[in-house]
Amino acid sequence: MSLLEINGLTKHFGGLAAVQKVSLAIDLGEIVSLIGPNGAGKTTIFNLLSGVYLPDEGEIRLDGEDLVGHRPFEICRKGVGRTFQIMQPFPHMTVLENVVTSGLFGQVPRVPMRMAEGEARELCRWVGLGEKTGVYPRNLPVADQKRIEIARALAVKPKLLLLDEVMSGLTPTETSEAIKLVRQLRERGITIFLIEHVMKVVMDISDRVVVLHHGEKISEGPPGQVAHDRRVIEAYLGEQIENSGE
Amino acid sequence: MNRSFSWKKALFIVLLLLFALWFPRLVDAYFLHLAVTFFLAMILASSWDILARTGQVSVGQAALFGIGAYTAALLFKWVHLSPVLGMLAGGVVSVVVAALLGYLTLRLRGIYFSITTIAFAEALSVIWLMTPAVTGGAMGLSTPPLFGGDRQQAYYLILGILIFCIGVVWMIEASRLNFAFTAVRENEEVANVMGINPTRYKVLAFMISAFFTGFAGGFYSHYNTYIIPYEVFGLGISIACLVMPIFGGLYTIAGPLIGTMIVKVIEEYLRVTVSYGHQIAYGLILILVVLFMPDGVMGIWRNKVLPLFRTVSR
Repeated sequence: MSLLEINGLTKHFGGLAAVQKVSLAIDLGEIVSLIGPNGAGKTTIFNLLSGVYLPDEGEIRLDGEDLVGHRPFEICRKGVGRTFQIMQPFPHMTVLENVVTSGLFGQVPRVPMRMAEGEARELCRWVGLGEKTGVYPRNLPVADQKRIEIARALAVKPKLLLLDEVMSGLTPTETSEAIKLVRQLRERGITIFLIEHVMKVVMDISDRVVVLHHGEKISEGPPGQVAHDRRVIEAYLGEQIENSGE
Repeated sequence: MNRSFSWKKALFIVLLLLFALWFPRLVDAYFLHLAVTFFLAMILASSWDILARTGQVSVGQAALFGIGAYTAALLFKWVHLSPVLGMLAGGVVSVVVAALLGYLTLRLRGIYFSITTIAFAEALSVIWLMTPAVTGGAMGLSTPPLFGGDRQQAYYLILGILIFCIGVVWMIEASRLNFAFTAVRENEEVANVMGINPTRYKVLAFMISAFFTGFAGGFYSHYNTYIIPYEVFGLGISIACLVMPIFGGLYTIAGPLIGTMIVKVIEEYLRVTVSYGHQIAYGLILILVVLFMPDGVMGIWRNKVLPLFRTVSR
């Protein structure tokens, strides 16, 4: 049974169709990548899923329950955790406090403070921030800030985790660590939907890949198959030619 | 957000409390009156800071203050309600108004909320002037002196409310509310995605803030024995509410209290020496703080003064 079902999802910004009639389904325990050239509408889909934007049309179902019209904090409590492409830790909270905050408010049922702190410590250790719980985010390198994002999203105990470009800007070593982390997450029973630009990552960890171009879904399937899809190659190469012409 | 407990700090607080309790026996009526106005201002400053913790800047606390003041005065006029109960009623009515206003306006962000609060206070002032039959209009309302003019009792009452107010702030800091308030202040969108309902916590903070501001208004009307709309709904009070905590240092327990002490001393000195001098003081302090001490007195204490002692002790 599908954990997440999206049907005919559409979002316009003024005259621009950012997302057009996108439908897809993600099964429990799957790792699905969402790829596409810049401006294809990937982050817009995440914003629709997490309730930041209201879709113009279409439906989003999590475990059969309609999410459209619910506000972000409600969707979070229904079991959708997400990270942000541009890392946004709370600057005046330590690493631990950042994670505790989402653990305190994102979980259903609510847990007492001491328990949330224990869980947050455990999560920090698990993502590799165990030594840095008392540090302020601005004093940490990019990779660690991404770890905060992941720990924060996990602290809400999500069924579905949305990862928005968590691998970009990481060194190769850090990337392979991150891939390991994502695989472990799946073993914990978390379903993962991720936006990714790093193709090595996409090919490595995805069960399925969904390709978006100009807001429309142009291809979907196992990574090997999608990589040879003519339309996908056109979308990417087309973009490259346009770029080189600038 | 770290809470450090030390015996030194506890001892200091106990001594301060004993001094505050003993204070009325040490001083004459002028200083007692001054202490009462200081405490009143501290309550306003601390309660403004409660709302500020969610990132909302109210420039219309006078609306809540005035509602509290008039609730207490009108209830006395109509049904001779005892002053202390009247003040309590003032606080409660302010909370109700804050809840209604909050739900309408706290979905707005930042500057829009601030502007709405200014407009609301001004609108109330006009409404009061236009309905003299009910509100007393421009002539204001008067009440007999509080506790038959016994300043000591008034002092202990306002001290009690101040301690209660500080206690509430302390409890907020120790609870999950602190995480919600800080998260909403630092990044409302991210807080939202992490399961925090921003509007709910902003309204809650506004209501807590309103209770103490309204109670302070009720106290003021009985203590001062005379209120007029122009004053209790005036921008002067709203500005005072925000200058004192900003000067002292935001989002701390001690900041608003210390800020109030210093600002009030300057204000009192200027009031005696220059006419309207205290209003100049507010403007100057605000400019100086914004330019040179963004974290207020507490920031200077933490970043400049404490390090000096650390090097000495090594």
